[in-house]
Amino acid sequence: MLNRHASLSSKRRLVIFLVPAAVLLLLSLFAPLLAPNDPNATSAMMMNHAPCADYPFGTDQLGRCICSRVLMGAGTSIFSAALLVILTFLAGATLGILAGWYGGIADAVIMRICDVMLAFPQMVLAIAVAGILGGGMTNAMLAMGISGWTLYARLARAQVLSLKEEPYVQAARLSGLRFPRIMFGTLLPNILGPLVVNATTQIGVMMIGIAGLSFLGIGVTEPHAEWGSMINFSRSYIRLAPWAVFAPAAAIVLTVMVFNCLGDSIRDYLDVGGEK
Amino acid sequence: MKKFLSLLLAMCLVMGLCACQASTDPGPVSTPTDDKQTTTDNTTPAADPDAGNVTQPTDTTQAKVLRMAESFAYASLDVHKDYYGWYTSIYGVSETLFKVADNLSIQPLLAKEYSVSDDGKTWTFRLADAKFSNGNALTADMVVKNFQRLAEVNERFAYLGDFTFAADGDKTLTITTPEIYPTMLSDLTAPETGIMDLDATTDPDNAPVCTGPFTVKSFEPEGTVEVVKNASYWNGDVKLDGAIFYYMQDDDTKLNAMQAGDIDGYTSVTAAAKQIYSMDADRYTLTEIPATRLQFYVLNKSRLDDKVCEAINLTIDNKAMAEFLGGTVSAAVGPFASTAPYGKVSKPAPDTAKAKALLEEAGYTAGADGMYQKNGKPLSVNIGYYEARSLDTIAVLMQEQLKNIGVDAVLTAEEDPDATYIATGDYDIALYCMIADKSGDPYYCIDALFRKDSKWALAGFPSDETEKLIDELRYETDVNKRADLANQIVQRSIDENAFGYVGLFNKTTVMTKGVSGISENCPFDFYGVNAETDIK
Amino acid sequence: MGKYIGKRLLHLLWIMLAVSFLTFLLMYLTPGDAAMKKLYAQGVAVSDEVLENTRENMGLNRSFAVQYGDWLLHALRFDLGSSFKDGFPVSEKLLKGMKNTAILTLSALALALAVSLPLAFFTAVKKNSLPDYIVRFFSFVGNSMPNFLISVLLMYYLCVKARLLPVVAENSLRGLLLPCLALSIPLCCRFIRQFRAEILEQLGKPYVSGAVLRGVKKRYVLASVLHNASISILTIVGLSVGTLLGGSVVIETIFRWPGLGKLAMDAISSRDYPVIQGFVLLSSTIYVLINLLTDISYRLIDPRLDKKEEESSC
Repeated sequence: MLNRHASLSSKRRLVIFLVPAAVLLLLSLFAPLLAPNDPNATSAMMMNHAPCADYPFGTDQLGRCICSRVLMGAGTSIFSAALLVILTFLAGATLGILAGWYGGIADAVIMRICDVMLAFPQMVLAIAVAGILGGGMTNAMLAMGISGWTLYARLARAQVLSLKEEPYVQAARLSGLRFPRIMFGTLLPNILGPLVVNATTQIGVMMIGIAGLSFLGIGVTEPHAEWGSMINFSRSYIRLAPWAVFAPAAAIVLTVMVFNCLGDSIRDYLDVGGEK
Repeated sequence: MKKFLSLLLAMCLVMGLCACQASTDPGPVSTPTDDKQTTTDNTTPAADPDAGNVTQPTDTTQAKVLRMAESFAYASLDVHKDYYGWYTSIYGVSETLFKVADNLSIQPLLAKEYSVSDDGKTWTFRLADAKFSNGNALTADMVVKNFQRLAEVNERFAYLGDFTFAADGDKTLTITTPEIYPTMLSDLTAPETGIMDLDATTDPDNAPVCTGPFTVKSFEPEGTVEVVKNASYWNGDVKLDGAIFYYMQDDDTKLNAMQAGDIDGYTSVTAAAKQIYSMDADRYTLTEIPATRLQFYVLNKSRLDDKVCEAINLTIDNKAMAEFLGGTVSAAVGPFASTAPYGKVSKPAPDTAKAKALLEEAGYTAGADGMYQKNGKPLSVNIGYYEARSLDTIAVLMQEQLKNIGVDAVLTAEEDPDATYIATGDYDIALYCMIADKSGDPYYCIDALFRKDSKWALAGFPSDETEKLIDELRYETDVNKRADLANQIVQRSIDENAFGYVGLFNKTTVMTKGVSGISENCPFDFYGVNAETDIK
Repeated sequence: MGKYIGKRLLHLLWIMLAVSFLTFLLMYLTPGDAAMKKLYAQGVAVSDEVLENTRENMGLNRSFAVQYGDWLLHALRFDLGSSFKDGFPVSEKLLKGMKNTAILTLSALALALAVSLPLAFFTAVKKNSLPDYIVRFFSFVGNSMPNFLISVLLMYYLCVKARLLPVVAENSLRGLLLPCLALSIPLCCRFIRQFRAEILEQLGKPYVSGAVLRGVKKRYVLASVLHNASISILTIVGLSVGTLLGGSVVIETIFRWPGLGKLAMDAISSRDYPVIQGFVLLSSTIYVLINLLTDISYRLIDPRLDKKEEESSC
């Protein structure tokens, strides 16, 4: 067992973790087809019903199918977290590279904005922003993203600053290449590794964050199925219908675990130290 | 590999947890049995070392101290400011000139009797022989000072500044109003009009001196409040020795505390908790009465076709909704309890076939998927709501019911309805919840809902005729005629399909057996403990 | 060093100014205000006239610039004003909240350290043993659990199922236990992973194998390993302050612990500008100062860092 583990290349491990992640992504994409029932259909006859053949995970206090809602919630949670990571990644990396490359005023302005965003722990800022803006998927994503980009910006800037002094970058610069060419041709390939590692680990963080906001009632709101808001909605019925809380809870934990593992194995594969 | 294995293991664990949950837990039935165990422990506090060291004082059995949970707690006890008076009234500290009885009739309290002049503008009150908790007698002069202070410190009572108050001797008070003011008595039941001994009260925020059956013992801003019996209460003997009000916002916390025997009762029990208490009828008394908080929706007549409005009203089945809400609300016909003389209105029963016919009359045709459309555009209505007072559940249910007849509904949740959809009029259907009956009179609600200058005017219901009727109601002094007028106005709002009255929140109170008289039969939120409250 | 601290404090001033301005602007632009929230608190309808008068008395109908300027002038004189909701001085509310938050976060941190340090050390030394696998498994699962979920599960199992803890007495020591546990469990899981990795790294270094070869007693070797890992451990703890403060907002809201987080949530929902502004200033100051302290402390331990920063700082 141990020997086998040692002989397993980090590449194979990466592939192994890509499988559950891909399955989750597929599940979230095809949720509407897979859901056994209409996730929003209420039923007065089936309120707080225990798991049965028709309702594999039982029903909530409005008689809605928990299984279908968890599946639909996968779409909301995974999709929104992934989208958020991609957006903050793009914004942060671009700003960071610009700041690092050009220096001067651009650098100062971008870094000062970073400072302001980093004056609060991410979750404090997110809760404040979501609390002020009110509920809704977009607002929750905005709240998480408002400080999310700074991670990539700071990382990209630091990498670019050190790359700038490398001979081959200097050479590219002196040979009169335009910035976009240098950015995509030279800078980006060299700094992408650490950024991607951080991005993958952020998927879990974002998912937990959005679920947390929804749980507090300032993120995704009813009737949209989202795991955090499902837990919040059924929390008062935990004695009568524990499945309504435990099913979305298990979904969150499993999904976050899968993405955390994926992040770790990508880090091992690329062999770069991510943020601790 | 290791990681993969651990992941697999974790999956099994989580699944296992769920499975255990479903299989080993025979459901809620087991919970009450555990509870009985705790109760018996609780009556003999020393018996169980595990449950015995709860914060309750050991002398609870000797001194009769009632422990309650409140979902709201303010930072001050100043009777006149903000809504603090509601809580001093709940705590049994402050009293008003009149009070509303359980049957919604207005009864004298600090005022013994009253009379109105023939022109209806001068009210004369004779005060009862009431005493403040410090022994000082209640004087007309003090009442005048209280009303003047109230007008100054509370925006909602600024109108009292237009009245003229005069003390005639120690016990007679006259109030002169610039025009006829039929709702005077009902206004004087408002808890904010509670009377303090302003000369003796040095710290109104923490220690108001009032006339009630209890006095403040300790007060923690936005926290626990402790009151003790006012030994020299003017209006009979106080049965309790004291009461403690814990601040518990969370419904679950209240349920846990109640089951653990840490509290003796609370109001606004949730549907889930109600279900749990009702399974253990030996231990708890549940009281449920329709109260004054109204859930309703407004149909935007300036955006929706009349026929569509009618179809929507015929589709929304509020009895089914009340069922979904687990009996925390009673299905409403109008804004007032149907037992009240001003609550006699009627509305047609839900009829989806007729609703569909109406939609077709309005030019809509059902598509292949059963959804109605006109000129290729689907019939879609926007429902504005906010996440409080079960409005989110109602919104979900409305969406479902509308979908079933072929109308698509889009839900828009807002944080602050008053500043968003209501202010802009940007809605087809707006859900809202408010107190419809402040103190046994319909005028306040009708004024707030149907006037041309009300915040609902954008929806297009107000008209010159309703305005005329409302003005008539404003100056009508005869109680029966007032009720007639109110019924007429409300019926118009139903007949024109401008409003849909969904539910009246029930006031649900749970008490441990033996506790009685915590205003559980009174529909108003601002009454709590009183001289008659008792623990057996 | 002195120059560095001075520069960072100057930064803090800029941050406070920017942050207070942005929050004020955001609050001003979003629908709803303190007057409305206060008047509608009990669900009673009030007339527009009453609403307008209340706004005027609260100074809410003034322009944005005037309102912010007024607040800023007072703040510069260390006067944070008084709460819109109940008229209490903001500074008093913040102090009370800070005390409760400090109790909660520090006890959670202490608990997490007390559990994670020995476990990390033990599992690193006994690498790949059964206890190692068990500890790592649980810390991995705990790492993937959102803190609100841990709170719900704790409440369910400890309060409802096992009846171990009372629900009343929210501010007493027993009331502290649940939120403290909920806050420290995820932290503890993270610490175990990070500390273990750090100690393993130290164990792999030549000085350890050298010492073992030289026959140095095991506990002396372990002591020096611990000493050498302390910088990283300190950094990890310093970096966790953000998670801790963020987590405390969630936990305080769920358990109604009267700390800064709950104060802020309440203030946001009642649009209580003065309290929100006070919270924003205080919270950013605490966070920046703690980061500064972490920086300084590991500069003191490892003076080489000072030079590096000088080179790369902007």
